[in-house]
Amino acid sequence: MIQEKQTEKKVIEKELSFGPVHPALVEPYRMRFFVNDEIVEDCEININMAYRGIEKLFEGLPVEKALLIAERVCGICSNVHAWNSVRVIEGGLGIEVPQRANYIRVLVHEFQRITSHLFFFGHAFEVLGHETFAMRSFLLRENFMDLLQYVGGNRVMPSVPIIGGIRPRADLNESLKKVITERVDAFESKYKDYLNRAVEDPLVMSRLSGIGYLTKEDALKFYATGPTGRSSGWNYDLRREMKEYKPFDYDVIVLNEGDTKARVVSRALEVLESLKIIRQIVKGLPEGPVVNRSWVAKKMDYTVSYVETYRGELMHSYGLDQGGFIRNYKIRTPTITNLAAMEQACIGDHVTEAILTIASCDPCLTCCTRTEVIANGKSRIMSDAEIIQRFGWRK
Amino acid sequence: MTLKSIARKNAVHVMLFYSGGCNGCDIEVVNAMLSPRYDLEQYKVMLTWNPREADVLLVPGVVTWQMLEPLKKIYAMIPDPKAVVAVGACAVNGNVYKNLVGDIGVNEEIFAPVETVIPVDVKIPGCPPRPEDIIMGAVKGLPKLMGAP
Repeated sequence: MIQEKQTEKKVIEKELSFGPVHPALVEPYRMRFFVNDEIVEDCEININMAYRGIEKLFEGLPVEKALLIAERVCGICSNVHAWNSVRVIEGGLGIEVPQRANYIRVLVHEFQRITSHLFFFGHAFEVLGHETFAMRSFLLRENFMDLLQYVGGNRVMPSVPIIGGIRPRADLNESLKKVITERVDAFESKYKDYLNRAVEDPLVMSRLSGIGYLTKEDALKFYATGPTGRSSGWNYDLRREMKEYKPFDYDVIVLNEGDTKARVVSRALEVLESLKIIRQIVKGLPEGPVVNRSWVAKKMDYTVSYVETYRGELMHSYGLDQGGFIRNYKIRTPTITNLAAMEQACIGDHVTEAILTIASCDPCLTCCTRTEVIANGKSRIMSDAEIIQRFGWRK
Repeated sequence: MTLKSIARKNAVHVMLFYSGGCNGCDIEVVNAMLSPRYDLEQYKVMLTWNPREADVLLVPGVVTWQMLEPLKKIYAMIPDPKAVVAVGACAVNGNVYKNLVGDIGVNEEIFAPVETVIPVDVKIPGCPPRPEDIIMGAVKGLPKLMGAP
């Protein structure tokens, strides 16, 4: 994206700038639309407003303590950051994880997938201007916020995974299993009502369909992952290769249209698949211990772990020195790779549809702002294309 | 109770300023204000995005370099009397970003707590605070609005 801009050297005079504090934006970011007769010719997203220097905080902390910070990277997908950070050391030092702990980790992960997708609907419908659907999705979301509180003790930061398993307080007992089953059943009937109402509404669907096209070639070129890539016809899901997801039976939603409607519908259908996984976990939860405490922090080489989150692929990686202190922490969140796809999807549409298109890619900009380069005494934020070029995408 | 304070009680406008936290408190504030379960709007407490209209400023999270100047500007724009509420552990004491640092010692990327940037009236601890606590904090800012001449 960046390189093309430099080679073309095209000058577009009219610029429309949003942010960082603007009614339509939930998070602080700045968008620049270069418009020609109200048609977007180019788009640029600036994400450096929430830079907090998280990766540097990890340096030199003992590993058990440092993983508390990993959960605070993001407030929407908090559990998966905690999970992936413990997966790195489990893979690097070969720590065995009990099967029961893996099941409960997946359970909390799927709870948060549902809350994240329902928050996405709330945000997308609010941008679209349909307040009723936004309110209904916020009301449905409360079911799973409650379940997260029952399992983890906190609505947003459940802190379930620790090294070698899960926290013993997050273990499921019979009464909690019963509550989860009841809530999931009640949620499913309400959610299907909501979904039928939304899909059959001609007003909403005519607003969504036909805008924000992202072709499969573009999705592959800009490394769009997760539902954003899958709704453009790229049949790929990391969950198929993760060992934690081997016991479960579910479908991966792939749509071929590649417009804004497909991105909304693919997330709507993924919630139903998550419900399938939750039912299988509650039914087939194996007995046994939930945590393996027999491990010692020692020297570990630089290890990488990938997890499929709600927006795409998440990478955590670090190494340990002799004393068990963390060195070289690196995080790559899915929004970084999806940003270029968002910029591409806006081009060629009317400027009023651009924010809806960006919202439909589900941006989470707080967790992706963290790479800064100091060059010639001046600091600047690295762009997504540079990050991919320097650190590479998945092998 | 003067006529002014009665009138002010019936139209409290709250502005949410996103200063660069982790998103958790931000969503919980929107949840407490708008979502049907908590719904502060039924008590005539409205969420607004216009600083000139606002009475209460909610600041969730640490303040980053980029958001320092906008925060000061927006605080100056809000007409008196005004109340500032610091939501969450990051705004109250800096949370992990300030207190759990490794080799670097001091995290110079952030300004925390919010008190160091603008005066704060009410503090709501928690990571993140529950929506009930946020509602209580917004209510605790009211006497300052009522008692002003």
